Amino acid sequence: MKRVFPIASLPLVSLLLVGLPLTAQAEETFSDAQLEVMAGGCANCHGTDGRLAGSVPTIAGRPADVLTSRLLDFKHEEVGETTIMDRIAKGFTDAELEALARHFAGIDLENDNEREE
Amino acid sequence: MNHRHNRNGLTRRQLIKGLGAASLLPLVGSAPFAIGGQHAGRVIVVGGGFGGATAAKYLKRANPAIDVILVEPNETFYTCPFSNLHLGGLREMDAIAHGYDELEERYGVRVIHAMAEDVDAEAHKVTLSTGRELDYDRLVLSPGVDMRWNALEGYDEEAAEKAPHAWKAGAQTELLRSQLEAMDDGGTFVMVAPDNPFRCPPGPYERASLVANYLAQHKPKSKVLILDAKDNFSKQGLFTAGWERLYGDRIEWVGLSNDGRVTRVDADRLEVETEFGTVHRADVLNVIPPQKAGWIAERAGVTDDSGWVPVKPETFESRQVDDIYVVGDATVAAPMPKSGFCANAQAKVVAAAIAASLESRPAPEAYWTNTCYSLVGPEYGISVAGVYRVQDGVIAEVEGAGGLSPADAPDATRALEAEYAVGWYNAICQDTWGTPLGGRVT
Repeated sequence: MKRVFPIASLPLVSLLLVGLPLTAQAEETFSDAQLEVMAGGCANCHGTDGRLAGSVPTIAGRPADVLTSRLLDFKHEEVGETTIMDRIAKGFTDAELEALARHFAGIDLENDNEREE
Repeated sequence: MNHRHNRNGLTRRQLIKGLGAASLLPLVGSAPFAIGGQHAGRVIVVGGGFGGATAAKYLKRANPAIDVILVEPNETFYTCPFSNLHLGGLREMDAIAHGYDELEERYGVRVIHAMAEDVDAEAHKVTLSTGRELDYDRLVLSPGVDMRWNALEGYDEEAAEKAPHAWKAGAQTELLRSQLEAMDDGGTFVMVAPDNPFRCPPGPYERASLVANYLAQHKPKSKVLILDAKDNFSKQGLFTAGWERLYGDRIEWVGLSNDGRVTRVDADRLEVETEFGTVHRADVLNVIPPQKAGWIAERAGVTDDSGWVPVKPETFESRQVDDIYVVGDATVAAPMPKSGFCANAQAKVVAAAIAASLESRPAPEAYWTNTCYSLVGPEYGISVAGVYRVQDGVIAEVEGAGGLSPADAPDATRALEAEYAVGWYNAICQDTWGTPLGGRVT
């Protein structure tokens, strides 16, 4: 059950916003194992699976379009009050950021044991 | 050690959890998933710091049917990150202490509190200080660093009891703190900083900052003198600007070109001598000596002439010995620094690579990030970040990403970064050991 993220299911508006050709993105799919590695770095500040709340905000369970636009803004725009996320987001392709957004959106904040049960 | 035997083999709860999770994992044909208590391979992890504890946890997350054994001598682990806050009187030791309950109880990692004394790579065996021998399919070493005793003339283990390094957190941290507290007003805190590579490149300069912060409040006539074996250091511009701003001329830094390199230590007299014969007398002497990979790495045959461990960048498997993976400060992973963040990031790549290799799948592509926060003062934080990928067979920083906090940032940004530094510490400790917010529950 390889969970993939076909680009066709992404909101068209986000594709228009980032202005990349559809064909270039259409091949960008990531296995669960790959996403676990890609998302690994997020946990260092946002907690395992992005669940932690504190001075650094929780990212688990937030709507995918919110996370996507936030991440793409960090990468491409000047976001006020940003300290570190601009420097991190620039290390990922737009397709990777979109996949990460969907990954964290898909985590059930209410159920902390979903991976084991 | 009854608790260990109780976990020898999967309990009913773990078995149920394991089977449940297996059904959520990618289909892998005939891969050996746990059925009736059999495991999908055994991985021994040596070292329970940022690298080892993370590797153990993420191996179980990748596949709960892998039998994961963590070998770590101490029941309580004190982190080097934030140990400078203890030195500066800003944090209790308990608030940098972490344990292994979550790994055992939630993830089903078997934790053995012993030293790993030998590795037989050929036979795939680890010998423990208890005499016990353990077989492995894959071995993860996260041995941290050892001091190179006598690399600085006069600085050995005994000298470290008088002139602490405090570069492994715990008793050394407390010793240096007590010396600092006992120092008379007007005294000089002398720090000897090593040449690259060493654990936590910005660490000495954060330490100087937080010691100066303490002195400013409690011993205002005292100074900090850093004698450095190099001419440049991590976040140098940000540190020196912050020092000037917060501490005036309380911190003096002497680099290599100005005869900053110490070549001899006299711990009894609290004196150090530099390359060109200048003798500096300290009231408290903190010697951070040259370092190398933790001893078990050498024993396992994974270190090279440099004393550090070369690894295959895609997986962090040893370049020299098959089926041994190494993470953290012990590795040669430049441009990634020797930081707890990197050890945690590398461990996740290793866990994914091992889980894949036990199922004969290719390893996922490696991604690493690093963010190192340093506190110049309690409300003055600075950072350096990096994002890394394998490019042309070597670890490379992704161009255009990462970098330093801006040099011209307003105070509000420094305050925010100080807050995020605490947020980072809480998060990485939760991610590594499961420590709840606000420190260990004791």
